[in-house]
Amino acid sequence: MRIVVTGMGIVSPIGASVDQFWKNAVAGVSGIGGIQSFDTTKQRSKIAGEVTGFDPTAFLSTKQIEQTDRFTQLALHAAQQALEDAQGLEGYQPRRLAVCLGSGMGGFSTFEFSATRRLQNKSVPPFSVPRIMANSAAAWIATRYGLKGPNLTCSTACSSAANAIGMALDLLRTGKADAVVTGGAEACVLPLTMTGFEALFALSTGFNADPAHASRPFAKGRDGFVMGEGAGILVLETEEAALKRGAKIYARLAGYGCACDATHIVAPDVDGQVAAMQASLDDAGMTSGQVDYINAHATSTPIGDVIETKAIKQLFGERAPEIPISATKSMIGHSIGASAAIGSIAAIMTLQTGTIHPTINLLEADPECDLNYTPNSAVEKKVQTALCNAFGFGGNNVSIVFTTL
Amino acid sequence: MDTAELEAKVIEFIASKVENIDTSTITTASKFEELGLDSMDTVQLLFDAEDAFGVTFDGEEVKNLRSVGDIITYISEHPPEGKG
Repeated sequence: MRIVVTGMGIVSPIGASVDQFWKNAVAGVSGIGGIQSFDTTKQRSKIAGEVTGFDPTAFLSTKQIEQTDRFTQLALHAAQQALEDAQGLEGYQPRRLAVCLGSGMGGFSTFEFSATRRLQNKSVPPFSVPRIMANSAAAWIATRYGLKGPNLTCSTACSSAANAIGMALDLLRTGKADAVVTGGAEACVLPLTMTGFEALFALSTGFNADPAHASRPFAKGRDGFVMGEGAGILVLETEEAALKRGAKIYARLAGYGCACDATHIVAPDVDGQVAAMQASLDDAGMTSGQVDYINAHATSTPIGDVIETKAIKQLFGERAPEIPISATKSMIGHSIGASAAIGSIAAIMTLQTGTIHPTINLLEADPECDLNYTPNSAVEKKVQTALCNAFGFGGNNVSIVFTTL
Repeated sequence: MDTAELEAKVIEFIASKVENIDTSTITTASKFEELGLDSMDTVQLLFDAEDAFGVTFDGEEVKNLRSVGDIITYISEHPPEGKG
């Protein structure tokens, strides 16, 4: 059974539509700036990839806004785009329509807000729990569109959306659903969350005065990831049903693989990453020789980008330097549980357009990062098989394979 | 704030919170359910009213607040600290 992508939606720091996002990604536009949403005086990392100008009142009622966290609002906006794009899902039985989303943190802006009030002995908003819970976004998408089949949420930190997309693939292959709204959403440009990542020395702190150059995967002088936010949503269904209903088909979701390092709660590991990439190719029934583009996890941390480079070399061997790689996070920062959905959309647009977006801020590469990362300028190349990587705290490694039809 | 002023402010506040209702019909006698508010909407309304009027509704007494007038009475009997 072949599974295809028939709808896409995105909210990101460089665009709140697939067209706008892709145009900016190809042009290498940075969406990183000084944080606007809270006072950063006490933060060491004062920059982020924020979704600015996002207005939930444009598509949600006052009551819906009161009952939803920002991550859910971002997910709802991306889902609206994806479902309008896919069109015609009403032809399926509602019980056969599933939602399978990823989020690393869930409704953490509500958590931070409500916790602050509680510590000040003030009342806590009545919708605190349903706003905070990680499955809130999936539940709201189902409620809004009457999607009455399985409703799942996967939380595997930075790989959440990749696992969610893989679980969606499995729901379709095992016949548990006819179409799945999948992807991820995250909104944790927040003081406590960022302080937590600062405490791990995971965030960039040396570019507060030069935000556009802070997210620099594979580059010399990189000093951590830049927090981001956003949502990416895909609509998946079987190729047979999509063709039958005359749907526009973007790409085939051919394979999904995941593996746990089982070594360290935050440190990355070459073997686990290789295992996930290999598993995704095995699942797709493909070989490493067929991969002609990699959308890397590449968060811009000193260690992470080196480990991913080593893993790619280990799996692809002497072909590794020939395969174009790019890092979407160089432009939008790291949107945690949404990042793999956004990376997937970038990979699918690469298959669609024959353009590989650049890794920006790569004027001088780290000597230990010596592959072809598509530095600074987009490249035209016909791509038939794209691999999208996502690696998360907890030792989670996930890869997904998209192909042309 | 005298009673008439408080009444006007509470009614204005509630009018800003309800949807699909002719707000000119809201009076002190209006019950929340008549304004289209279910129990969860009412809890949200009372939470918002706390911030708007600088009061804290007692967790148990909140269950007895059923109308616009009940809110007005509660606020006048529990003036914000330092402003009483």
